[in-house]
Parts: sequence; C-alpha cells; structure tokens
Amino acid sequence: MATIQDFSGYNPTWCPGCGDWGIGIAIKQALIQLGQSPSSVAAVFGIGCSGNMNDFLNAYAIHSLHGRAIPNAIGIKIANHKMPVIAIVGDGDCYGEGGNHLLHACRGNHDITVIVHDNGVYGLTTGQSAPTAQKGFKSKSTPAGILETPINPLALTITSGATFVAQSFAGDAIHTISMIKAGIEHKGFSVVNILQPCVTFNKVNTYQYYLQRVYKLDESYKKEDFKTAVEKSLEINEEKFPLGIIYQNKKPTYTDQLGQLKDETLIGKKRFTDFEKITKLFI
Amino acid sequence: MVDFTWLIGGEAGFGIMTTGVVFSKIATRSGFHIFDYVEYPSLIRGGHNAYEVHVSDSPVSHLSPTIDILVCLNKETYEKHKSRLTPSSLVVFDQDEFEIKEEIKKIIVPFKKILSELKGQPIMKNTIALGASIGILGGDVNELIRIISEQFAKKGEEVINFNKQFIQTGFDEVKKNYSNNILNYLVKKSGETKLVLTGNDAFALGSVIADCRVYSAYPMTPSSTVLTDLAAWQEKIGMVVRHAEDEISVINTAIGSSFAGVRSAVGSSGGGFALMVESLSFAGITEIPIVVFIAQRPGPATGMPTWTEQGDLLFSVFSGHGEFPKIVLAPGDNEEMIELTAKAYNLADKYQMPVIVISDMYLSESHKSVEKSFVDSFVSKYQINRGKLIGQDQVSNIKDGKYLRYKLSEDGISERLIPGTPGHFYQANSYEHVEDGHTTEEAQPRIDQVDKREKKWTTYLRNDFAMPTVYGDLEGSEIVFVSWGSTKGIVMQAQKLLLDKKVNSAFVHFNHIYPLDIDKTKELFNKQYKKYILVENNSWGQFGKLLKMETGFEFKEKLLRYDGRPITVEEIIKKLPN
Repeated sequence: MATIQDFSGYNPTWCPGCGDWGIGIAIKQALIQLGQSPSSVAAVFGIGCSGNMNDFLNAYAIHSLHGRAIPNAIGIKIANHKMPVIAIVGDGDCYGEGGNHLLHACRGNHDITVIVHDNGVYGLTTGQSAPTAQKGFKSKSTPAGILETPINPLALTITSGATFVAQSFAGDAIHTISMIKAGIEHKGFSVVNILQPCVTFNKVNTYQYYLQRVYKLDESYKKEDFKTAVEKSLEINEEKFPLGIIYQNKKPTYTDQLGQLKDETLIGKKRFTDFEKITKLFI
Repeated sequence: MVDFTWLIGGEAGFGIMTTGVVFSKIATRSGFHIFDYVEYPSLIRGGHNAYEVHVSDSPVSHLSPTIDILVCLNKETYEKHKSRLTPSSLVVFDQDEFEIKEEIKKIIVPFKKILSELKGQPIMKNTIALGASIGILGGDVNELIRIISEQFAKKGEEVINFNKQFIQTGFDEVKKNYSNNILNYLVKKSGETKLVLTGNDAFALGSVIADCRVYSAYPMTPSSTVLTDLAAWQEKIGMVVRHAEDEISVINTAIGSSFAGVRSAVGSSGGGFALMVESLSFAGITEIPIVVFIAQRPGPATGMPTWTEQGDLLFSVFSGHGEFPKIVLAPGDNEEMIELTAKAYNLADKYQMPVIVISDMYLSESHKSVEKSFVDSFVSKYQINRGKLIGQDQVSNIKDGKYLRYKLSEDGISERLIPGTPGHFYQANSYEHVEDGHTTEEAQPRIDQVDKREKKWTTYLRNDFAMPTVYGDLEGSEIVFVSWGSTKGIVMQAQKLLLDKKVNSAFVHFNHIYPLDIDKTKELFNKQYKKYILVENNSWGQFGKLLKMETGFEFKEKLLRYDGRPITVEEIIKKLPN
C-alpha cells in the first residue's frame, strides 16, 4: 500500500496557515485510503496556489492552463476510463476562467472528481476577487467592493447535471478526506467544493468566519432528493454553509454510454483495420 | 476525349448538395474522374446554391471556365451562370417556370407538371433533373436508380419506388423529346473503382488509417463534415468523437486523451482555431502530440463562412504564445490529404509536438475522385510510428529513482511514458520544468529545455521534412509558379494549357510549409533571370512573406485572389505576358 511519503513530491510553498495544506494532506490521505498509488491515478491541476500542488503531489499528472483542467481530465477519462481522474482546481480557475467547462462537464456526467479550493480570492496574483467572493468584497481589482453577486457552486453544479456535489471545510481535514473519498468512489461527475481561508489576502472569510457558519448535514438529510439538494445549496446565499454530500444520484456516465468502450478502454483496444467498411461509403 | 461540366442550381434548402454528390458518383461509377465545387450562402433556406461537376476521362482537380450542361431549377441559376455558356451548351429548365429569350440550346423539362401529376414534393425536382441529366448525357438510368436505392435503403421500398418514378420520368422526357441532342458523354466504360471524397472526407479517412482514437471538435464551416463523418463512424472504428462546448474544451480534451496515450486530433476553421491557440502553446511546452486540422474560410472574424481563402497561413505558422516548435502541412489535393494526414499523426508522435494540417473550403468541400487502389496501396504501405512512446519494460530515463519525462537528448526527443504504467509517475507541466517535469524558474534548466524543444525541429528537418514538389522543368523554364496547398490542381492545369501553346513552365508546390529547410529552399529561388510568380488565395501573399522571412527571397509577381472564390486556371494564364 502506498504511503504519504510515496505521494509527496516537493515541499509545499503555501503560506503558513493556508487552507491548501489541509486540502493537500486530505487528497493524499483519501488516495491512500482508496488503495491508490501515484502510478494508478491521474491528476490534473489548474493554475493558482491550488494548482501549485502539482509539484507537491506525485501522480500521473498534467499541470494545465488556467481554467482548462476539466477538459484535460475528460480527455484522460475518455482514453482510459478505468483510471481514476481528479481535477484539482481553484475557484477563479474553475468557476471563472473555466466556468463553461464546468457546466458542460456536469451535463456529460463525466466520471471525474473536481476538487475546488474555494477561498474567494485569486491568491497567486495577490488577492483580486474571485467569482465566489461575497458581493461588496473589497480587493485590489474591486477597490469599491465587487459589484457582482457570488456564484453558488453547489446550486450551479446540481442543476447542471452533476451527480455528486459535496462541500467541506479545509479546517476539518477528517471530513474533507471523507468527502474526497466519496467523490472519487462515486461513478459520475463529482464536485467537492472546499471552503478554504486565504490567510494572506482574504481578511473576511477567515477560519473564524467559517467556524461560525459551517454545519454538518445529519443522517436524516436526503442527499438523493434533487429538490432538497437545490434548496439546501441555496443556504450559502445567506452565508450558511452546509458540509457533507449535498446531492448524489446514479446516472450512466459519459463513457458508460459509448458502445465502443463497452468491452475495453480506448487505449486498450486493437487498431481498426477493416478500411473497406469506410471506403465503401464513398463509391 | 470526354471532358465536360454539369452545373445544377436552385434555391438553398432544396437538395442541390445531395443531388450534386449523386451526379459525381454516377460519373465515377461510369468510369470517369470528377472534381466538383459548390457555392452556397451561409443560410439553410433561401439564397442560391450551385453545384458544378467537372467530369473527365483523365484525372481532374480544377474547374472549367465553361458549362456544358446547365440545369436550372430556378431563373436565378440561369441568370447567374449564363455567362459561362458556349453555343453548344445545353440548358435544362421548365418553360412553365420562366422563359429564356436568348438563342440557346434548350432542353425543356416540365418539372412543375411532373411534380403535380406524380404528387411529388418540390425537393423532387432534383430527382427529375437527375433523370433528365443522365438521359441527355447518354448515361445508365439503372445506375442512378441503384444509387438512389442505396441512399434511401433505410427508408424502405416504398420511398425508393416513389423516387424511381421521378427519375424515370425525367429520363424518358428527354429521351423522347430530345433524341437528337443526346451527348453520349456518360456512356459507361471500364475504369478503376473510385472514391468520391471531399478534402474533409480525406482527412477523416487518413485519421482512421493512422489509428486516431479521439477526435474532438465544435462545428464550424467548412470543417464540420470531418466531425460528422467521424461521429457517424466512431462506434464502428473504435474512436471517441466529442463535440465539446467550445474550441478551448475541444483542444484540451484532445490534449488530455493524447497525454493518456491515444492518438488525438481536433478540427476547426480559423475562428475556432483562434480559440485554441493558448492550448496549442500548452501542447508545445508539455510536448504532448496533437494533430490540428484547419479548414480555412475568408476572415477576419465571421468573415464569409461558406467561401474559400488561404488567409490563415501565417496565423497557423506563428500560432501560440511563446516559442515552441510545431509542424505545418498543407495538402494540395485529396491524395496528399490522405498521405499527409496519416503522416501528421506519425510526426506528432515522433516529435511530440502539434502538427497542423491546413486546408481551405475549396479543398475541404469539393469532391475529387480518388482511385480506390491508391487508398489500398497507401494503407498497405503506411506504418504507424509512435516514436518514443514507451510502456513499462522500456523505461530507461531514470535518475534517483525518478522517471525523467523531459530528459535532455541529442535529437531533442525524450521517452514518453503511458500514464498508468506501474512503478512510475510524472507530470506534463505547462510551466517551464526540469527533466522530471517539476516546475523551475532557474536559468540553466530553462535554457536547456528551450534548446531541447528547438532541437526537435532540426531532427524533423533532417528526417521527415519534404522539399516542395517541382512540376515541369525548373532548369529549362523561365516561368516558375510557386504555390502551396489547394491551388495545386489549378496551377497544374494552367501549365498544361501553356504547354499546348508551347510555353514551358515550372511549378514549385509546397505542402510541408513550416519549418522549411532554408538552405535547400534558397537554392530553388536563386535564378535571377527567372520569372517567379506567387499564386495564393489571400491578399497578403502570406507564403511569399514567410519565404522572404526565411530565405530573403522576394516575389515581384503575385497572383492573389481574396474575394472568397478559388483562383481559376484562366486568371493564371492571363497573368503572363503574351
């Protein structure tokens, strides 16, 4: 079985106290607990402080462009649908620059797990506001306060067709591990939105802020009920943050629906050579 | 010798396109070669559609200035194309629909009357017109019926029989009334089996031959039929075709699947490719193989979607931010499209870089007959070469227990491990990186990796680059035409006509566009006394600019066309002093 050491690359360069530390360890722990090794899993990273994890986590990985991790992950999954594929992204990365990809990945129910570091700011470019920043949030790019209302990542993904949507808090590593594990184990498109304080650039959404506003869903919560899930997801508009699996349902994945992948992975297939089948169409 | 042009025109949305392909297939099944061309506006209904087929008993890849049989499904067709008629041309039309006052050879077919008698839909005018055309050309009506039956096979016997009546009526009508005008042009003769392919079909076929397994695209004229071809075949051939949400997703899907180890390609026109270029640069630094198909149309922006231009050459050559190597190929016709497409996949794998195959509407949407034996023989010769793609037993680049994806090497190419291989891992990094893939901002590793990537170009130029083909006698000709891509057949026909007038010419045709072997290319342009004429379907003379940048050579004579129409043989000849 793989160890934390096996998954550890360079030493992280995150700021002391950054939520990324907790998320980084949670991802490694989740992979270990699932029996994965750096050779068995594919990880795609976006660009941002979160994406810098590419150098700290050992795996078959792509450090992608800003916003493009999801389509890369979809491509890997199509080529080898037996391999677990995770996309490790930030809120600006995934909800801003790559927002369109997220919507359509939900629709396609691609069997990948998107782990979003949601801290409300662009940390790596020194703290401009992100699409999840609360309305009025002051930053270098929005000195008078951001005019737009924040994205609701939970409602957005649930209503777009994601079959697994969870939320956790970087300050609670154990819970975060369990959410990432459940996301990877889920067959279909899974999103884990991780609330994460940026200790350097976000003086509003601090550990204290979240500790006062997060709560765990209890066992009576019906995660498979779509309407309940949508309603629950709207709570974050009132700065109440439910933690747990907000929505989960079973639907055929993108690759499940491809007849050509029924028996084998795309990469495992034999080369097609019966060219007469094609040329005859043109005679 | 048989050599004629048939043109059918009518309102958009009334089946002109399908009718044209059927005509091309009848001609090839009757033993002839064809080249066709379609003009249509960017509309689904209304507007004017025209489909012309140049039929010959020898291979053709150009259009004729004149029309021999003009089939008018409306008056506009006659008005738009009458300038290309000759005294011997025949014009098929319905006198109940409009009158023609000019003295021409009229073949009157009562489309309207036949439709109402047989209770046909307006779209069946085409079917009558096809029957009449085959009749007037002395063709085999049963061959036409066979093709229609194949086309409607899924719709059942009833639909087939219903269509048959229209064919037969159109056919009988001209046989009965115009027996003296029958041109025995389409009399069946023996000949090799031919495929009726567009350039897009040829790209799709080349991709299948090369074992491409992921094709990702977003529809954009004139590239879309690659997407629809491959989407239709995907289950049969074991490919996955993803119509993604936008072109950025398109190319990143293919980058992901290529990273995972399967041959992957994307396709679009200039506008869609513009959205892809950031990711092209990403493929460049991560050294992930990818084949990019571009079917050009006139830009800028939305431009003229259904017309032709070669305006994206320099954009392709210099696409992507930062400095990274790529290869640009521009096939001159369908045969070259099949060969160079299949080669593009080998080059992408061998050199681990983007390879662009650039076409244009004229090549992408025109059908040209290709002998099936050409395809069969190409298939038997073609070898898949995946370069330094390796599996578990072949891993040798290991340092301190780590696999070095970007290990420095003499030829610039390093081993590429298939993800999932046990015992190893690596990252493909869009940041500058050290040999094992980890990010670096240090000076020396940066220089090393830039140099490593550049070396792949040198290796390519040494091993796989092909010099332009020279048609005609370069030493002995004063006139030298220079072109690239789809203008090949047009310039070659001009050469032929010039030779009839005892004018020798040479033609240097480039299809390996970039990078160029500068020293060898210079040698082609060092004759001061020669008249070099650049022929391009754009307004800048883009290839001329590229050649000047690379070799210092400057064209004095240029034939440039940028009105959305293909260059014609006649324009080329006119360009020369008498």
